[in-house]
Amino acid sequence: MKSKEAVIIGGGVIGCAIAYELAKRGMSDITVVEQSYLASGATGRCGAGVRQQWGLESNILLSKYSCQALEQMNEALDYDDDIEFKQGGYLLLAYGDQQWEQFLKNVELQHKHGVMSEIKTPEQAKEIVPHLNITGLKGATFHQKDGHANPFKVTDAYYQAAKRLGVEFLTFTEVKDIVISAGKVTKVVTTKGDIATKRVINAAGGWSNIVANMVGIDLPIHSERHQILVTEPVKPMQGPMVMSFHHSIYCQQTPHGSFIMGLGDPVNEPRGLNIDNTWQFMQEMSEIITNLLPPLRNLRVVRQWAGLYNVTPDAAPILGSVPGVEGFYLAVGFSGHGFMIAPMTAQLMAEHILGIETTLPISIYDLERYKRGELIREPNVV
Amino acid sequence: MRIKKHPILTWDKGKKVKFFFEDKELEGYQTETIAAALHASGIKEMRESEEMHRPRGLFCAIGNCSSCLMIVNGEPNVRVCVTKLQEGMRVQRQLGKGELQR
Repeated sequence: MKSKEAVIIGGGVIGCAIAYELAKRGMSDITVVEQSYLASGATGRCGAGVRQQWGLESNILLSKYSCQALEQMNEALDYDDDIEFKQGGYLLLAYGDQQWEQFLKNVELQHKHGVMSEIKTPEQAKEIVPHLNITGLKGATFHQKDGHANPFKVTDAYYQAAKRLGVEFLTFTEVKDIVISAGKVTKVVTTKGDIATKRVINAAGGWSNIVANMVGIDLPIHSERHQILVTEPVKPMQGPMVMSFHHSIYCQQTPHGSFIMGLGDPVNEPRGLNIDNTWQFMQEMSEIITNLLPPLRNLRVVRQWAGLYNVTPDAAPILGSVPGVEGFYLAVGFSGHGFMIAPMTAQLMAEHILGIETTLPISIYDLERYKRGELIREPNVV
Repeated sequence: MRIKKHPILTWDKGKKVKFFFEDKELEGYQTETIAAALHASGIKEMRESEEMHRPRGLFCAIGNCSSCLMIVNGEPNVRVCVTKLQEGMRVQRQLGKGELQR
């Protein structure tokens, strides 16, 4: 039986980034186990947006540092391709007084942490996105440094860099069980053999609770289907991601020219691992987006698909150790915004696992916060 | 080039229509696709590939492959292999990505 310093379960952006950050800090003998191909889960299915306009200090800081990492990533990871980071901004739309007041508070908080978002009138919003329908719009906020990165390329960049540092990647390999002895992790049982290890990192995204159940923990978490579609490519015409919490949608043009858009619909989306896609989504998405961004009615849809949000009660991730199971770590429950905070999250996880002081406080993300009632509820999510 | 006599099939080509390819006025039949009318007039380059700027023409001819996307009456990304010809149509080669009509 082979023996490893750490086994990371999940080959999405979180798993690959943690592997790299651990290896970079000197850990050797790391294995990443992925049930399918890398980025096959939520990472490769996500909306690819990167924003720093949040309503909580914790999220603002996580995303700010992650954005800085993305700006440098091609060089920092010595990536011979390009992660396609486009900083066209995020335009967040506010409808109604209550939402507007929340936005103004958010901007104040963002400014305090050096995220220099701007407040815009509906007319100014239309200058940024000329094809925006501003009927009923109260106002908007805009931050130029937000944007888009290619989730496959970012994952690949981490994978390549981690591999150069000696990390082993086992794709198409399923974890069947995790063996615990005297309250400590000792072994991971996979479809390609057993691996003896003292550390297991759960980065399984939509499957995180299945993995947690293997060590006898039930996480306050559920997986939920979210759908998304992409259109044919056209010449660049929309700089920023347009996002409306009122309509519960987001839509942006990728550097390739296609438009990617998605819809949050927790009432009608099934919980569990179902990632079929539906005509109801196509209809609802088209109705909303052609009203909000009318010229898009002339675009053909090329593809639609679904992925899993791994949702926690406060829509914030669960990071860190688990009391009672030594050597078991969680990086789960990203609630639909894991990709954009992956670089900083992975750094914090690596620091925490190695017992180094973390760059940002990680304890607010621990599992026990739900028992303590210290939820970190983010007002700004789709 | 058009098949005029066929040992088994016969077909009614319908009315002749005039259309424009870039600045040239051409003729085709209303029952045929834009691609067929262009081919009959000897025009086989329909667009340019986006990155390498290579000529692209008919490939699948059933509306699946995106090889024959052209600009028709200002609308980009029209699959001319499955779009019927109409009187007065303005057809242009698509160079790179099309511009979405506002």
